[in-house]
Amino acid sequence: MRAEDLKGHLDALLLAALEDAPQHGYAVMEALRQSTGGRLDLPTGTVYPALHRLEAAGLIAGSWSVVAGRRRRLYQLTAAGAEALSGKRADWRDFAAMMSAALEGAPCPDPA
Amino acid sequence: MPRPSLIDEYLAALSADLPGRIVDELADGLDETYRSYLNQGRDPEAAAQTAISEFGEPRVILTAFTGASRGRRTARRLLLAGPAVGICWAIVLITARAWQWPVPVVARVLFGVALITVISLLAVAAFGRHYRRVCRAAAAACAGTAILDAVMTGAVLVIAPVLVWPVAVAIAVSAGRSGFALRNVHHALTG
Repeated sequence: MRAEDLKGHLDALLLAALEDAPQHGYAVMEALRQSTGGRLDLPTGTVYPALHRLEAAGLIAGSWSVVAGRRRRLYQLTAAGAEALSGKRADWRDFAAMMSAALEGAPCPDPA
Repeated sequence: MPRPSLIDEYLAALSADLPGRIVDELADGLDETYRSYLNQGRDPEAAAQTAISEFGEPRVILTAFTGASRGRRTARRLLLAGPAVGICWAIVLITARAWQWPVPVVARVLFGVALITVISLLAVAAFGRHYRRVCRAAAAACAGTAILDAVMTGAVLVIAPVLVWPVAVAIAVSAGRSGFALRNVHHALTG
């Protein structure tokens, strides 16, 4: 999957990757690769600006640590981030159900 | 483990426009990527080349960081708020016949130059492509906006101290904008 196809969904993917435990940037990218079966084709370097944007928005919190003599920045989900992720999951389920109904004739769930 | 020169050169290209703390974070990720390819059995040169390819072109990363910077977001919000604040003050100045105020021409010209400078700085921060330039322009524009708001409020209260509703609205709106700008000076500067 190309980077442009992810537009609007990258934030949800990053928040989901941080849901279970704090991670550093490379580990976030690896988690995304694993969870998408290696189909995510995103320049690793562009994950870092997205993490900074989420941090500025208060959805994740970053902190520095030293690992093997190198400075490493770890990110963890904040309460606001967990809430945002929950909302994004609900939005995605609605969107996916609507598209499945429109493109494949699947039954469209009640909007209630 | 020594870092290959290829990776050092890549990081040097990023260092030219990004602060050290961001480059440190990218270096950690790049080192991890490089190490993972070494562990897969690639030779150091190939591992470094693949890690760099996977990370993406420096230009793409710099553009993404510039777009995600707090300075850029702050500048865009101030640019969006500008016309509304300007209209509030224009109503005050027109209803109070500001052109008849005893303000020296030099002071009027200086205020106009300062206003144009702040708008130019906001434009650079909102649409510029260089991270450092965007952050510095945004911080300077935040400080400039707060100063302009303070000067405008002070001038009106001294020269035409009648608190009619357009003045109250303009001062309130300006105070809100100044507060936002001052809160974001440091954030804008640090990205």
